[in-house]
Amino acid sequence: MTETPPRPAGRTPRGPWILAVVLLAPAVILPLIVPLYDSTDPTLNGWPFYFWFQMALILMSGVLTIAAYLVVTRSERRERVRDGERTR
Amino acid sequence: MSGVDGVAFSVFLFLFLLVTVLGFAAARWRRATSMASLDEWGLGGRGFGTFIAWFLIGGDLYTAYTFVAVPALMYAGSVVGFFAVPYTIVVYPLIFLFLPRLWSVSHRHSYVTPADFVRGRYDSRPLGLAVALTGILATMPYIALQLVGIQVVLEVMGIGTGAGSWVSKDLPLFIAFAVLAAYTYSSGLRAPALIAFVKDILIYVVILVAVIYLPHHLGGWGHIFSSAQHSFDSYNADNAEAIKAGTASGKGSIPPAAAHWAYASLALGSALALFMYPHSVTGVLSTKNRSVIRRNAALLPAYSFLLGLLALLGFVAIAAGVKVTNAQQSVPQLFENEFPSWFAGVAFAAIVIGALVPAAIMSIAAANLWTRNIYKAFLKHDATPAQEAQQSKLASLLVKFGALAFVLFLPKDFAINLQLLGGVWILQTFPAIVLGLYTRWFHRWALFAGWLVSMVYGTWLAYNVPVVGNPGSHFGGPLSAFPGTDTKVYIAAIAFVVNLVVSVGLTIVLRAANVAEGTDQTRPEDYTADVGDAEVEPELDPGAPAHA
Repeated sequence: MTETPPRPAGRTPRGPWILAVVLLAPAVILPLIVPLYDSTDPTLNGWPFYFWFQMALILMSGVLTIAAYLVVTRSERRERVRDGERTR
Repeated sequence: MSGVDGVAFSVFLFLFLLVTVLGFAAARWRRATSMASLDEWGLGGRGFGTFIAWFLIGGDLYTAYTFVAVPALMYAGSVVGFFAVPYTIVVYPLIFLFLPRLWSVSHRHSYVTPADFVRGRYDSRPLGLAVALTGILATMPYIALQLVGIQVVLEVMGIGTGAGSWVSKDLPLFIAFAVLAAYTYSSGLRAPALIAFVKDILIYVVILVAVIYLPHHLGGWGHIFSSAQHSFDSYNADNAEAIKAGTASGKGSIPPAAAHWAYASLALGSALALFMYPHSVTGVLSTKNRSVIRRNAALLPAYSFLLGLLALLGFVAIAAGVKVTNAQQSVPQLFENEFPSWFAGVAFAAIVIGALVPAAIMSIAAANLWTRNIYKAFLKHDATPAQEAQQSKLASLLVKFGALAFVLFLPKDFAINLQLLGGVWILQTFPAIVLGLYTRWFHRWALFAGWLVSMVYGTWLAYNVPVVGNPGSHFGGPLSAFPGTDTKVYIAAIAFVVNLVVSVGLTIVLRAANVAEGTDQTRPEDYTADVGDAEVEPELDPGAPAHA
């Protein structure tokens, strides 16, 4: 326990990263498909669809990004424990 | 100076003087033995923890962009005005995916700026220089937007509306500008970091009151949406001929099919451009470890929600019967009409201070780029720390004067166009920086050529956009027809496509011709390194040579 050996290359498993990308993809792609939401109806509490849908997308992207954060962080922590390094 | 509300002005002046004092006193905050080094002046002594860094990074979000520029588009009935919302949705997942790799490679090799990274990755000083110059240039119109934001607030307050010469008109702006320049010069990054506390408190109070009290007071969001729509419809009916002739723009709140590409490309182009700006990269690299970046990416969408509501203040102003000829005055005017005098003063101060803080941070980041990647890399290899700090201080002044030139010589009916012009330029560094984080396939000279061609082409396209109703004018908007079509698209995206085509095409040619591609300093494992790994600098040392 005197020195931590340098970690080997490509140590991060690809699985969690792929999952994170899949989780984040809707947050990047949906807001860019304008025909999906360029209408007034259905309104919600006086809000045209166009506006409340985009506000809802913000909430969705927040949830997805938190999910992706948990996936990636937990996987990295597991890696560190497996490699016998101290967890921060 | 008739029509100045004494109470509002007094409150405003008090808060402005308070931050001015703070700005100069900041030099003594967390006092250093000497300010004469880039460490101290340009990075606040690098002693900032996550908490202060968060205030600094958050400071880039709520600026005159949010308070003045975006609501102005909504007020004016621009059909693409709401693009700032998809823009801020798209940007965080991208930060989450791209920036941890930049963090890792930068901490392993002590890179402080994106230009450092590009230079090390491609073994190319010209490419690093291109990235540095673009960063400095693109920052200027972004700062200019902040100055315009300050100016419209002053106008609404009744100061600086003197009809006569430009001196009486622009003098208050010059005074605010001179104060900003003076305390940035003397205190460096400490000034905006300390003022950011005051700024954020003021801004959060004003935002919450504005988006909760005002809609409630004005009959609810349903009424606000229908008033805005009604106002746009009657404008379109009254000006049907002018709109048909192209001398006026039709108004609306939802983009019609013809504007879908414009809307989506403005959102995506702005998102890709945001984290190429020197001040964003500096903020990101100053974080403690990879997780902090991702945690911020996960938490910041909360702010996008408030940004969306602030954008809609443009509609609130319509519903409240605010009538201004300069759409950018709509939100300040709304505050003046609807708030009691003292709170209007607080709101004005919040907007002005909220513009000064990012302007200071941006000019410092651009100045550091100058010192590290141009002055030290090309002009004076053996510069002492004191000389470096002096260079950055002077450069920060020059950047601000550049911004002032943008304010004075470009159309400022919609300051957001200034920021979007900056986006046209900064986005052209994306291939070298972000693609470079994943692959070394691109040839350094191909990337350089792609950058050069797209910079010239993008600037030319932007130059040829007239202001609506004023043929022959220039830099009038961010959109241009995609070559070979009639579809309007954000110029940054058009230039970016050209950039990619040139970069890919020339890379194939140069590789076939076996042109030397230089030695890559980095190794694949550098891109996933984290704190605790071998050779990872816990904190970057800007005094260290760029090539560790």
